[in-house]
Amino acid sequence: MNIQFKKGVLELCVLSMLERRDCYGYELVNEISKNILISEGTIYPLLRRLRVEGFVTTYLKESTEGPPRKYYELTDLGKSKENSFKNEWFSFVKNVNNFLKGNKV
Amino acid sequence: MNKNEYIKKLAEYIHDLPKEVSEEILYDYEEHFRMGMEKGRNEEEIAVSLGDPKNIARQFIAENMIKKAENTTSANNIIRAIFAAVGLGFFNLVIVLGPAIGLIGLFIGLFAAAFSVTISGGAIFLAGTFGPVFSGGYYIPFSPIVSIPLGIGITCLGLLMNIGVFYLSKIFYRLSISYLKMNLQIITNRRSK
Repeated sequence: MNIQFKKGVLELCVLSMLERRDCYGYELVNEISKNILISEGTIYPLLRRLRVEGFVTTYLKESTEGPPRKYYELTDLGKSKENSFKNEWFSFVKNVNNFLKGNKV
Repeated sequence: MNKNEYIKKLAEYIHDLPKEVSEEILYDYEEHFRMGMEKGRNEEEIAVSLGDPKNIARQFIAENMIKKAENTTSANNIIRAIFAAVGLGFFNLVIVLGPAIGLIGLFIGLFAAAFSVTISGGAIFLAGTFGPVFSGGYYIPFSPIVSIPLGIGITCLGLLMNIGVFYLSKIFYRLSISYLKMNLQIITNRRSK
């Protein structure tokens, strides 16, 4: 698959996942890699960038098993980014689908 | 590669990052291993699916350098960012280093030109003013009436050129950072595919 494309999609998936609920790193990797083939290690640089750019923040939360886990949470900026990114995606997909169907006829 | 080997390798590669940054990164990867093992995967398996620690380190380093260049404008920072980006792959040697060297050369040239115009204005001014007194037989083509305003004028022109080149270089600095960012995205994509 187109690389630029995949990178953008990965970012969208992370944002969308965090929009549903706060997650820790492993959980994000796990959920996303169920659906999309990714190199798991690359999600952490992405999370770091999202945090530096102010789209997510982190907090530590105790877990019943082992040391506390680092949770990621969307900021307001992150929420509006997720929203506009998602809308962009849907209209993009719709247009591409229309185009592809048109071409087949 | 087991967990300790993987973390040790990653730690070596990101050694030059600020301590609090590298510690945090290592913490994340250790957590990842721990979680994976809780879910019943073994260390080797997790290491493989994480990908080469060298590539991961490069992504963090390039990201960090560009961020730094963005926050504090300095020639040193942009050069470091350029080399971090070049380090991401041979492909970048051409795509980043070529234009970078060209641009740096261009700006050295422009600054030199502006500087020489400023100096030459001063020289005309001095020659026109003191020339008639000290000229031991040298021929001076201008009378002081012409050369004093001309000298001042050329000096001012030179100073304006300096200012112009300075602003131009600032604009290019910012453009270079956006270019590096875009480039970083493409490169990290190539790696993560």
